[in-house]
Amino acid sequence: MSDETPSFETALKQLEELVQRLEKGELPLEESLKLYEDGIRLSRFCHAKLEEAEGKIELLMKDARGEIAADKQGKPKTTPFTS
Amino acid sequence: MKQQGLDFGERKPQPAPREPRRGWTVSQLTDRIQTALETELADFWVEGEVSNLSMPASGHIYFSLKDDKAQIRAVIWKSDLRYVRFRPKDGMKVVARGQLRVYAPKGDYQVQVQVLEPLGKGSLQQAFEDLKEKLEKEGLFDAKRKRPLPLLPRRIGVVTSPSGAVIQDVLRVLGARYANLEVLVYPARVQGEGAAFEIAQGIRALNRLPGLDVLIVARGGGSLEDLWPFNEEIVARALAASTLPTISAVGHETDFTIADFVADLRAPTPSAAAERVVQAKRDLQGQIQALEQRLASAFAMRFQRVKARVLGVTSHRVFEAERGRLRTYAQRVDDLARRSETGLALQKERAATRLRRHAERLEAFRFERQIAERRARIGRAYDRLETRFRADAQKRRGVLGRLAGVLDSLSPLGVLARGYALVWDAEGRRLLRRADDVAVGDTVRVRLLEGGLRAKVEAKE
Repeated sequence: MSDETPSFETALKQLEELVQRLEKGELPLEESLKLYEDGIRLSRFCHAKLEEAEGKIELLMKDARGEIAADKQGKPKTTPFTS
Repeated sequence: MKQQGLDFGERKPQPAPREPRRGWTVSQLTDRIQTALETELADFWVEGEVSNLSMPASGHIYFSLKDDKAQIRAVIWKSDLRYVRFRPKDGMKVVARGQLRVYAPKGDYQVQVQVLEPLGKGSLQQAFEDLKEKLEKEGLFDAKRKRPLPLLPRRIGVVTSPSGAVIQDVLRVLGARYANLEVLVYPARVQGEGAAFEIAQGIRALNRLPGLDVLIVARGGGSLEDLWPFNEEIVARALAASTLPTISAVGHETDFTIADFVADLRAPTPSAAAERVVQAKRDLQGQIQALEQRLASAFAMRFQRVKARVLGVTSHRVFEAERGRLRTYAQRVDDLARRSETGLALQKERAATRLRRHAERLEAFRFERQIAERRARIGRAYDRLETRFRADAQKRRGVLGRLAGVLDSLSPLGVLARGYALVWDAEGRRLLRRADDVAVGDTVRVRLLEGGLRAKVEAKE
């Protein structure tokens, strides 16, 4: 995955654990509330992550040695893929 | 035709030749042998072990085929080599298809091989299995080497031919159902000379590109020869060295390549690889939604219990007023719990906070409140009583005062105090009110405020 913190995986795992704890139902009310709030936050985060990236399909350009050609910032040169 | 010169029959003394005996020339004989053998053995399969292999500069391949009792020379002409993928080695068991050729200058014969395969398997198959065995021994296929694919891949590198139908399939699946996926295609030839090198190069190059989540090597269906680049060691090594998780999607479902074994995941087809990625997102969406529902209902249950407790506590008459309000809150929480949409969460949280505060307050007041209430009532009654007593006493005191006053005013002492005197007859039985009540000379008794007198009536006035 990329460099975000927490990652989608981490957030999903936290959400899972949190729901399990809440389902046991042994927590004080105060803590239940906090878990619920955290859970809502995590699920929102996960949903946002799912929809985050911008969809595109690009064809990489390569040089004579088969390396991916890049611009000065090190970003790979691409052309939009046309079918 | 009778061939006397070849009669190896019974030895017996021969009569001296009358004229010089003549036979075939060696060439004639060889020609006959050649015709006989090459006609009879024009096309056959033979199997045996390779030995004495040599590959001189001419490009032809010479070797012997042998078993434990015999051997025969064999040759693969350079011109036939392009049909023979398999390169024999000494000691190998092979099966060869060819024809017998007599080599007249040396008077020997050999098998001219057109097809050569390792015994029992196709040559590519053999090469495949050799490499598979080698890499397996090295542990390249070990399950513990397999990395999990990212749950949510967003940037995908694909090594494939940009012109093939495969990329179209992959992109159709990905594009249609996963609009927010970024796909970077490294264009590479996927069959023929040099393809393996380009594929390996692509794998390495994509690994150097930052931010990719997963790498797919893909190729459509084809013959074993067409898929061959994916069976080459250079591709296997590049996949094994990849730091990105790899998916191999080569050929049809029934085709297995070395790349499939080395990659972290084998997708039966390129479209399936794309499906796998799409499925990941759908699965995750479902998973998150399920978790949200569990979260909401677990929370609602927690509140049901709190609500029940609160209602239990508040069923006491003392809390009648609170209960009404609490019911309203509880109902509101019920409503909110039924609606699990994320958007309503905030409202729910607020209502929950209010309910919580309320519940806590009620909890805290549970006993103190009852005691205080009763104490207050008793206090109030006591106060009322005291007030009444006090008023009563006051009233009574007033009455007594007035009565006392009356009594005082009625008391003869009071009259005496004001200077009057009381006069009785001599015996003190009758109070004298008129002068006629006594005669002159009678003794009377006078009662003053303090003390009394005995006196004689001297005259009447």
